Amino acid sequence: MMRTIEVLLVIIIILGASMIASFFAVLLWPREVSPLNLRRLAFTTLQVLDLNYSLSRIVFMSPDNPAWNELRIALSACLPPNIIYNLTVYEVQSGNATELYKYLDISISNAESLGVASDAASYLVASSNVTFRVIPEKIGTSGVGGTLYILNCSDARGWWITGYTAQSLAQDLYNLLSPYFQTTVMVQNTTDFGKILNNNTLQGEVVQNAVVINTFGEAVPIPSSYAIKYSRYNYAEYCYQLGNITRLYNWTWVSIVGYPLYYVSNTGYFNGSSDQNTYGIYGMKQVGQAGVRAFLQGLDRDHYPPPGYPNGDSRSLIPSAGFTATLSQQVLDCCNYYGIYPSPYQTSTRALEDSILRDYYLTIGLKIFDSVTVSDTTYNPGALYNHISRSGSLLALGLTRTPDIRLTALGLLSYYKPRLYRSKYTATNTSRLVVLQLGLLGGV
Amino acid sequence: MAGSTIDHLISVMVFLGALLVFISLFNQMIQTAILYQRHKFLATKCSDLLDNILLNPGIPSDWGKSNVTPVGFGLQKDPEFTQYRLSPFSLMRLLSSSGDRVYYSQTGEWYSNVSWGIGGGYFLLQESECINYSVASKLLGVNGTYGFQLTIAPTVKVSIVEDKNVASYLRLNITVMGQGSPLADASVDYLMFWTDSSEPIKNSTKTDSLGFAYLDFNGANGLPRIEVSRNQTAYMFIAKASLGGLHGIGYLSREIVTKAGNIILLVENYGNGTVLLAHKWGKNDPGPGDSQAALFFNATFYVLPDSFSPIKNVTVEGHVTYGEGLDYYPIQIPTSQVGFLVVTYWTGNEYGMVVMPWGIGTIGFSVVFGGDPSGQEWVVTDVRQVLVGDIAYQARLALWSLEGYGVVG
Repeated sequence: MMRTIEVLLVIIIILGASMIASFFAVLLWPREVSPLNLRRLAFTTLQVLDLNYSLSRIVFMSPDNPAWNELRIALSACLPPNIIYNLTVYEVQSGNATELYKYLDISISNAESLGVASDAASYLVASSNVTFRVIPEKIGTSGVGGTLYILNCSDARGWWITGYTAQSLAQDLYNLLSPYFQTTVMVQNTTDFGKILNNNTLQGEVVQNAVVINTFGEAVPIPSSYAIKYSRYNYAEYCYQLGNITRLYNWTWVSIVGYPLYYVSNTGYFNGSSDQNTYGIYGMKQVGQAGVRAFLQGLDRDHYPPPGYPNGDSRSLIPSAGFTATLSQQVLDCCNYYGIYPSPYQTSTRALEDSILRDYYLTIGLKIFDSVTVSDTTYNPGALYNHISRSGSLLALGLTRTPDIRLTALGLLSYYKPRLYRSKYTATNTSRLVVLQLGLLGGV
Repeated sequence: MAGSTIDHLISVMVFLGALLVFISLFNQMIQTAILYQRHKFLATKCSDLLDNILLNPGIPSDWGKSNVTPVGFGLQKDPEFTQYRLSPFSLMRLLSSSGDRVYYSQTGEWYSNVSWGIGGGYFLLQESECINYSVASKLLGVNGTYGFQLTIAPTVKVSIVEDKNVASYLRLNITVMGQGSPLADASVDYLMFWTDSSEPIKNSTKTDSLGFAYLDFNGANGLPRIEVSRNQTAYMFIAKASLGGLHGIGYLSREIVTKAGNIILLVENYGNGTVLLAHKWGKNDPGPGDSQAALFFNATFYVLPDSFSPIKNVTVEGHVTYGEGLDYYPIQIPTSQVGFLVVTYWTGNEYGMVVMPWGIGTIGFSVVFGGDPSGQEWVVTDVRQVLVGDIAYQARLALWSLEGYGVVG
């Protein structure tokens, strides 16, 4: 008898344990087992309704405007019949208001309540009556210069700009940088390029103190007259002249990718069967590694060729293997200011040796990427070099192809630091928050 | 002593019985909980996978504009990269799983069947140019673990039918329906391509509270008189309904089978836009009363920008004759812009028209892509609102596990 009582006691204990375990093992509600992602559905619904800013237009209308009825019909038509909704509009308050979102008495719904569970998405819309303007300071306003030349020569070919054409890069650079310069000139052919090399203006701009962006990658356009005159040392003499002119006019010469001045290109002049860059791109000649040294020699106003190098100095300035380069803190800070966000990590295979600072009397005006030391040699993957005479600069981005021209833009802006004048946000009733809450009909 | 032993035996049996009941109850509860959790995981996976498909353009990003096989799968529009805006081109390349495959013996090829003459609209793309379910599954990383079916269908359905109760002229009834309700008081812009008019007729109307509107082509209210009962004329009609930022589009093309057959449109080469205007007798043998006379055609490609003002691009005229080596006529259309190809065909006094969109969304086609969810243990679905051009679509993904009764997770 005692055993039976004991067993009964054990059964009671087991059942108790079972009940307690059941209490903790909470099963999902049926509606939670296979849920529709109502949040994403709500967001995409608002986005679809705002096609051509229709939603933005309607939510700023008075509640008795018939457009609200249009919105109600459109909303009902968008959503499956088993979905119930509630759309509410809030005013986004600015200034010293303690309440950021003020409820406006505007709400449309197709049900009295949203059931036991719902989800919501919000969508911020701006009034079409208000425009926010950002006015950039023009480079050169407080001094001389302020001209941006973008080489867009139709009679030259690029190299290491794989996937792009120099012309498409030129257009992108124009869009990015022209607001910051007093005058932006697209240099359309090598003849025009020859004119500015000879200190002639193309559109009445100031040639002195200009920024010249070479969009042709490792190649550089060469005017025919310069090709005839400066062809020695595999056209390194032309690169030397470019360096000289950069110093003379206090230019900032910009190389957007790869090894600067590695080829010269003019499809009209180099039209022979052997006039190619050894990779089958015709209309160009290879200068080789002597190009950038010749340029720096010209920038330093040294004789060319330098003593001891009767055929031109073609010693390498780059590392034997690539590495990852990281944007410098100064440039990272400028990403936020100018709203340009390239990847902070880039692959560099054409970083220039730090020794050029000593050899050609340069200082670093801006480190776009942090320096990297490989086998006791320091390299700069991207930097803007100034000559110590304070006349003439070189911005060289020694990254591997394909170029990200946002880095060029960011480098120049980080160096010149033009200010942005943002219109003050004092207008009221300019932004509204639309919240769409969705629920499922029926079930538990 | 015996009584004690019996007592002991009974108590052990009762205890074991209670234990079994307990284990069974608890096991059932645990199983249910695990199954619930697995199903919920599948729902989360479905949502993620749908976003993955809709929020990236694939690799290369313009794979929909050529006949390359992508190495990354996604349907986002290139080069806009706007959230939930899909490429009308990439959608065209998905191997349709809605209609039966079409075999055309004259070329010896199979064609993906997005639309076989629905409302006079055709979109048949050679299968070797399509992205099939297996490739997409591999690219999405779900091959062998999950099955899916993706449906991209217009949110607003614009149905156009001829009113058969009106015999003396053409009356078109237009019904505009949303997912949950009709699109009341919607403005409807329309284009009428008519054999007797060299330029399309463009005008607009409005739906009533039931989302209904009709147009009488009776020579009044600025509309021409069109009489179609004897098949001596043909038309292709496109209507675009708009309300509160929501746009839907529909079409009706008067496809008839003349005595000499009709024309079927087959996309032969997606990359260079080669379209075959194929004689129906090349696909189906003519019946005893059918003529094998020449079937003449005029094919015009229109580019259709968002402004809904078509731009005439390419016009080709010719004829196809069954049994004389002219079973089909290849033409080339531009592939870089969305639009539609309108083909008018005739023999004697009989006229018909068919249409083929270039870019899903141009005339409101739907696409169903992927596997068959029927017979699966558990299928979850998720939905997003998307845009193809400026037309509102819904992207619906059905997902199921391929690994046994349970769900991977």
